[in-house]
Amino acid sequence: MARLGRPLVLLLAGIYFLVPLLASTVFTVNIPGQGVTLSSYTRIFTAPGFTGSLLLSLGLAAATVALVLLITVPAAVAARLSAPRLRPVLEVVCTLPLVVPPVALTAGLGTVLRWGPEKLSTTPLYQTFVAVQNPDFPLVLVLAYAVMALPFVYRALDAGLRSVDVRTLVEAARDCGASWPRALVSAVLPNLRGTLLNASFLTLALVLGEFTVASLLGFRPFAVWMVQASGSDARLSVAVSLLSLLLTWVLLLALTTVGNRRRTPRSSRTFEVPAASQGKTSR
Amino acid sequence: MTVLDQPVRTGAALSIRGLRRSFGSAVALDGLDLDVAPGELLALLGPSGCGKTTALRVLGGFEKPDEGQVLLDGEDIVPVAAERRDTAMVFQSYSLFPHLTAADNVAFGLRMRKVRTAERRARAAELLELVGLAGHGDRFPHQLSGGQQQRVALARALALRPRLLLLDEPLSALDARVRLTLREEIRRLQLELGITTVFVTHDQEEALSMADRVAVMNGGRLEQCASPTELYERPATDFVAEFIGTMNRIPGRADGDGTVDVLGVRLPVEGPAGSGPVTALVRPEALEIEAADGGTGRIVATAFHGPTTRVRVALADGTDVKADVPTHAAAALTPGTAVTVRPRQRPVVLAAAGGAR
Amino acid sequence: MTPHSSAAPSGAVRAHDARPAPAGAAHEATPPAGTAGSPMIDGTTGRPAKTAPARRARRLPLPGGLFAALPLFLVIGLAFGLPALAMTDGAFTLADGSYGLDNLSRSVDGAYRTALLGSIELSALTAAGGTLFGLLLAQAVVSSRGRALREAVLTASGVLANFGGVPLAFAFVATLGNAGVLTTSLGLGDHGWSLYSFWGLALTYLYFLVPLMVLTVAPALDGLRVQWREAARDCGASARQYWRHVGLPVLLPSLLGGFVLLFGSAFAAYATAAAMVGSSVPLVTLQIADALSGNVLVGQENVALALSLDMVVVAALVMAVHLPLQRRSTRWLA
Repeated sequence: MARLGRPLVLLLAGIYFLVPLLASTVFTVNIPGQGVTLSSYTRIFTAPGFTGSLLLSLGLAAATVALVLLITVPAAVAARLSAPRLRPVLEVVCTLPLVVPPVALTAGLGTVLRWGPEKLSTTPLYQTFVAVQNPDFPLVLVLAYAVMALPFVYRALDAGLRSVDVRTLVEAARDCGASWPRALVSAVLPNLRGTLLNASFLTLALVLGEFTVASLLGFRPFAVWMVQASGSDARLSVAVSLLSLLLTWVLLLALTTVGNRRRTPRSSRTFEVPAASQGKTSR
Repeated sequence: MTVLDQPVRTGAALSIRGLRRSFGSAVALDGLDLDVAPGELLALLGPSGCGKTTALRVLGGFEKPDEGQVLLDGEDIVPVAAERRDTAMVFQSYSLFPHLTAADNVAFGLRMRKVRTAERRARAAELLELVGLAGHGDRFPHQLSGGQQQRVALARALALRPRLLLLDEPLSALDARVRLTLREEIRRLQLELGITTVFVTHDQEEALSMADRVAVMNGGRLEQCASPTELYERPATDFVAEFIGTMNRIPGRADGDGTVDVLGVRLPVEGPAGSGPVTALVRPEALEIEAADGGTGRIVATAFHGPTTRVRVALADGTDVKADVPTHAAAALTPGTAVTVRPRQRPVVLAAAGGAR
Repeated sequence: MTPHSSAAPSGAVRAHDARPAPAGAAHEATPPAGTAGSPMIDGTTGRPAKTAPARRARRLPLPGGLFAALPLFLVIGLAFGLPALAMTDGAFTLADGSYGLDNLSRSVDGAYRTALLGSIELSALTAAGGTLFGLLLAQAVVSSRGRALREAVLTASGVLANFGGVPLAFAFVATLGNAGVLTTSLGLGDHGWSLYSFWGLALTYLYFLVPLMVLTVAPALDGLRVQWREAARDCGASARQYWRHVGLPVLLPSLLGGFVLLFGSAFAAYATAAAMVGSSVPLVTLQIADALSGNVLVGQENVALALSLDMVVVAALVMAVHLPLQRRSTRWLA
């Protein structure tokens, strides 16, 4: 690159990426007629619906992380250890959700959910349909988010499994007298800690920011609340946006630090930002 | 018009004068002088960090020296950019362009010079045949083995008929067996084409077996530049003596008349002898061992090396020596056996004064 | 010949063979060629050594690898397969309950056609812009000597590539919206600027697409070996010729792969647009959402499903292009 080009590119990028953040900050603290005040931020916690929606999102996130790890970890480990022919199948299955954009997935989910009242109202299954749509804790969102997170979680896991020699770990543990489940829990999982953290972070970020599925199915987690609140108080919602960005940043930095500390100097050369080899799906 | 039809172009004469290059506080080249005759293969040998790679990269134009000249047939090429030099480099590994076939890799330089397609193809095919890869032109680098990739790299380097061929540890990433065959082939080609070649390696066996002369470098300086035999028989410095092959350092006494007493045997001295206590440098194959009760040494260990067996002996005075004996004679020499050790009657080199450790 | 008869002093030399070989010359940071050395490696799969453990793997007594994957397949089937089936079924189901192509043909006609084309146009444009700027930024960062700058930009990219959706929309509204800080202080409104337009949306999308491209292409730029540049110079190539004949062609799969990834991201994006422009810009995601939430005529649900199917087809095409490109890029640049 030309000697002049590099500073120019960096300068333009700096302007483009920093200005919206600075301007948003100014927007939240500088209120016409009132001067500089932090009231947009102090108001957040008392805003109606804030606590409820945030707790709902956190609950959904926790449930999704648990579910997605519970289903992918055994499958991925098994594919490595005992069923190599499972791997290509898993790869395809876990790529499929990328082919269906969230809006389209929601359209399909909505259709399925409408079957309940229409066709199943006389059967016990109907109760299940009602239960998964309980607005206090909509399990259907957990399922949808698990599907949406699957491609990223699986990829992270697969990469992580590739870098630790699972087979040797398990065989060594078995040689020391550990049973199969014990070998997995005590020898393999600890070595995957970074990977599991990474996958959990991806899922967490996805669920906390998710708007499409929730709003179209009529639920009200955090992101949906933000949009609804913005109608009455724009400054408040911008303030919340900035805080959520800050939170993502802190989480990611923490994760990167943990991840880099566990790597050898050589592999840290291929510095990898854990959160985002792929775009996420919550836009 | 083909590559081979042309009269063999004699390689250029290379002279390196006072080359200096430092990276920050690290001095990579500390005043290097070297001369390479036309058509000669010179190996630059030394431990890693000795400056040999920097020297080669200066020759190729990838590093600018802080000081000094590189004369190719008398013309200083330091100011000439790498892409305009009549030099060609074969890199350690991974230097083939991954998106081009072997033939296109070989023809790359011709394409840069806007040579017509048909002619390019013909030359690439000839060059590939020259390096023993006829019929592999359509393969991509990832479809070739490591040895094949380096052959293609060699063909690519030869495509523009360079006056100076530079080889940067081209064999170091290869299997031992492939390394041996490719080593011989590079040498055959180099002789056939008569191209002046500088070959960087840290593998002394490679250097000694291929090169006309070997330049041993250390700390950015030239220690010794001589034929392989000369280097082996008469190392000019302690560093060379230690670096090339295995060398025993045996205390002895110089008598002031050009001879030295080593382990009770009087030997003529190669070079200045002086008088008083000295350290004699003796190769393992220049030592004889005989099982003898009440001998001066005791066998510590033996190691089978095919035709010879290396025997490690602890002498009574604490010196540890290694001797090579014919394997058929080594059967009786088991660890613990008492032996006498004697140098064979041949000229011996003394360690430089103060060099003894 | 045997390995022993090669050189005159081979016996003496042998002792030195045991010395650890220096790991490559100092200027060279690439790992030593672990696999490139063995003579006849299958180029496509790489490692012959893999076959033996793989065979042994099947004898390991973990009961039922399939069993372990069962929960995964169950969830996928329930939460993905079923909706996908419902969507496909609905897309082909007509108002009278019979099957036909009417919904699909309506989904590529009229306002829906405009929305579909609008989405494709926006995605293609922002993906192209994101690819270009992402490449320039990544190259600026990768070619700099400072590790700090590099890590800072890559970490920031990791965050910003995830900074999509609602918060992003609000940040841009606060900056460039009608009452935005820049709009009011620079009087942009008087010059006809509106964030709630095609171009406003494009500018906003670049905010997560450029970082996404940086993350995608930075490893590829790292993978461009110094030796390639030097070998090209050695063959007489100028800097421009190097980029034209080696650098860009080698990067091409990564760039194209990144482009389709960006395209897919922008194409599927809904939250940003919904929170920012409502439905003032015709986009297929907004149309589907409108139809689903009954904002339009009743009975349009199945057209929404048909539109969803259209999206799936586009997304599937994107993946079909992306995956092979990614594979090739990894092979070249690994």
